[in-house]
Amino acid sequence: MTISHGHLKMAFMSVRKNKWRSLLTMLGIIIGIVSVVTIVSVGNGMKQQVTGQIDRFGKDMIMIRPGQVGKTDTKDALANSDILFGRSSLSGLSAQDYQTIKRSKDVDQVAPLGLISGKVTSSDNITKTNNIIIATTPQLPAALNQSIHYGSFFDDDSELSSAVIGQQVAYDLFGQRAPLGKTFTLRGQSFTVRGVMSEFNAPPLSPTANFDDAIFISYKAANQITASTTQYYAILAKPREGTKTQAAINTITSNLKKAHGGEQDFSVLDEQHSVAAASDVIDLLTSFVTAVAAISLFVGGIGIMNIMLVSVTERMHEIGVRKAVGATSHQIMLQFMLESTVLSTLGGIVGVLLSILTSFLLHTYTTYKPVLSWSAVGAATLISMAIGIIFGTLPAAKAARKNPIEALRHE
Amino acid sequence: MAIIELQDVSKLFGFGDATNVALDEVTLAIDEGEFVAVMGPSGCGKSTLMNMIGLLDRPTHGLYTLQGRQVARLRATQRARVRRDTVGFVFQSFNLLPRLTVLENVALPLAYNGVSANTRAKRALDMLERIGLRDRAYYYPSQLSGGQAQCVAIARALINDPRIIIADEPTGNLDSISSRLVMELLSEIHRSGNTILFVTHNPELTRYATRTVYMHDGGIVHDEQTEIGEVAPTARKALYSLFRKTVDDDLAGVSALMKAVPHPSDITKKKPAAKTTKKAASKSKAKAKPAKKGSKK
Repeated sequence: MTISHGHLKMAFMSVRKNKWRSLLTMLGIIIGIVSVVTIVSVGNGMKQQVTGQIDRFGKDMIMIRPGQVGKTDTKDALANSDILFGRSSLSGLSAQDYQTIKRSKDVDQVAPLGLISGKVTSSDNITKTNNIIIATTPQLPAALNQSIHYGSFFDDDSELSSAVIGQQVAYDLFGQRAPLGKTFTLRGQSFTVRGVMSEFNAPPLSPTANFDDAIFISYKAANQITASTTQYYAILAKPREGTKTQAAINTITSNLKKAHGGEQDFSVLDEQHSVAAASDVIDLLTSFVTAVAAISLFVGGIGIMNIMLVSVTERMHEIGVRKAVGATSHQIMLQFMLESTVLSTLGGIVGVLLSILTSFLLHTYTTYKPVLSWSAVGAATLISMAIGIIFGTLPAAKAARKNPIEALRHE
Repeated sequence: MAIIELQDVSKLFGFGDATNVALDEVTLAIDEGEFVAVMGPSGCGKSTLMNMIGLLDRPTHGLYTLQGRQVARLRATQRARVRRDTVGFVFQSFNLLPRLTVLENVALPLAYNGVSANTRAKRALDMLERIGLRDRAYYYPSQLSGGQAQCVAIARALINDPRIIIADEPTGNLDSISSRLVMELLSEIHRSGNTILFVTHNPELTRYATRTVYMHDGGIVHDEQTEIGEVAPTARKALYSLFRKTVDDDLAGVSALMKAVPHPSDITKKKPAAKTTKKAASKSKAKAKPAKKGSKK
C-alpha cells in the first residue's frame, strides 16, 4: 500500500476542517520544537563564542593556572566551569612563578593576571565599585593579541601611576570615549589614564568576566597599593618565535615544577585545552536543558494521541461507511496515521519557523548569539514527523480494528 | 447458477444464556439478475442477512458461496476486497460522508481500488450524469434532498461496477415521490443486469421485484416469485395498511410495468402518458436503441 497524493490531500483536508482543534493540538509540538531548537542553537552560539577565542588570541597562547585543571572529561569540566572566579579557595601563582616563567627559554611575552578589588573614583567624582582591576605587565596586549584603541599600554612595570582602561570604564567614569590623561583614585593612589583598550569581542578565558569593564595597572603598582605581593590567578605566555607550543609548555612545566619542589600544583594549558573544558560544560548544560525541553515534545505527542482518539470516536460512522464501500483495515489505519503525521509535521514546521524568529529576536535584543544549524532544523522536523507516526499508531489501530457493522451503528 | 448461495447460515450474538439468534440456519440461493425484495417485521434478521450477504459480517455457522467462491471464512482484509469489487451498499440513512462533496462521495470506493484521482473524478462524473445529478457534483450532502442523497448513495454503490447491490430499506427515510425515484433508479440498474437485494416494509415496493422473501425470527418463512408491476401475492394481504390507493401508487406500478416490456416503441404507442412522467427512463431507452438496431442487422 503506497501513500498517494489523494491520501495526503484527505489528511490535509481533515486537518483544515477542524482548524482550531488542529491548531491547539499542534501547539504542543510547536512549543516543544521551538524550545528544543532554540536551546540547541543558543548552546551552539555559546560554544562558537568560546571557540572563537582560540582564533582571536592565537592558537599558541599558553596559560598557567594554579591547581590541577584542564581534564577534558565532563565531571572535571563542571568543577572548572568558572575559570576566573571558581578557584578562589586555591592559592594563586606567585610573583616568583612569574619570574620563573619569564626566565624560561622558548617563552616570550609573559603576562600575569592578578585580581585586586577596590572602588574607583574619577577626577569628576564619579565612583564605580564593580569593575575588575587586573594587575599585569606591559606584555599583556601582545599575549592577548589585543590592540589599544586610544593612547598606549604602559611600557614599564615601574610606571606606578599609569592605567589602561576598558571601553566601558571610559564611559562610566569619564563619560567619553578617549579620556586620555584623566585621573582616577584607587585605594588612595592616583592613576592617570594612559590608554583605552579596543573592545574585547569575546571575554578572554572566561565567559563571565567582561574585560571591557576592567582597569589594567602594573603589578608593581598593585603590590604598592595592596601593601602585599599580588597573587595571580593566571599567567599568560607565548612561545618564542619559531618554537613549538608544546615545547614551550614542557619547558614551563619542568621549570615551575623544579621551583615548586617537584610538586605539580599548577596546570599549563594551551588555549585549545582550556576552551575544551568550557565547551564541555556548555555541551553538558545544553544537553540537559534540551532533555527537559524534549519532555514538552513528548507531552505534545500525547496531545496528538488524545485528539486522534477523540477524532476516531467522532468519526466512527465515517469509518463504518468507508469499510462498507471496501476500505481495508490497512487503508483506514493509513488514513488516520497520515492525519496525525500531517498534524505533527505541520506543527514541527511552524515550530521551526518560530524558532528561526526566536533566534533572530535573541540575536537582536539579547547578548546571546544563537546559531541555528541545519542539522537541528532537519532533526526537529524529522522528530515531529516521528512523533506523529508513533503517537498516531494507537488511535489508528483502534480505528482500523473496528468492526464495520458496529462502526456503522455509531452515530 | 446462483450468484449467492447461503447454506444453513446462522448468526449468533452474545454468549451462554444471553445468546441471541439473529439468523437461524438460513438457506437461500439467489440467481444472477434477480431483484429480490426482503420483507419482515423489525428485528427478524433482515439487516443481518443483508450484512452477511454483503460481507460486512461473517456467519457464526454455515456456508456462503459468492460467485462460486467460499467466502464465509475469509479474513477481514480479503472480505474488504471482495466487498469492494462485488457488492454495492445502499443504506436507509444514505450514509454519505458529510464533509465530502457529492463527487468525492461517489468516487470514494474508487480511492480504495487504487484508481488515480483524475480517473476517479471522471468516472464519478459519468456516474452522476447517469443518475441525472451531474449539476449537483460539487454540492455537499446536506444541500441535497433525501431522494437526491439516496440517488447519490446509489451512484456510489455502482461506481465500482459491482454485480450485487444490497439496499437496506433504501426508501425508509423518503417520501413516496422520492421513494419512487429511488426505486426507478434501482430497477433501471436491475435491467442493466445487476442482482439487487432490497429490504422494505412497504408492500407496494414489491411491484419492482422479481422475487419476494419473507422473514420471521431469523428464518425465511416464505419465498415467492413475483411479477414485475404486481404487488407480491402474499404482500398484497398486508396492503390493508394502505387503505386507499393513490394516483402516485398507480403511476409507480405503471412505470415499473413499462420497464418490464422490452420494446420501448410499443410502450409509447400503448401508453403515451408514460413518456412525460419518466424522463430518466426514456433517456436510457434512447441509449439502448441504436445497439438493438445494430444487432438486428
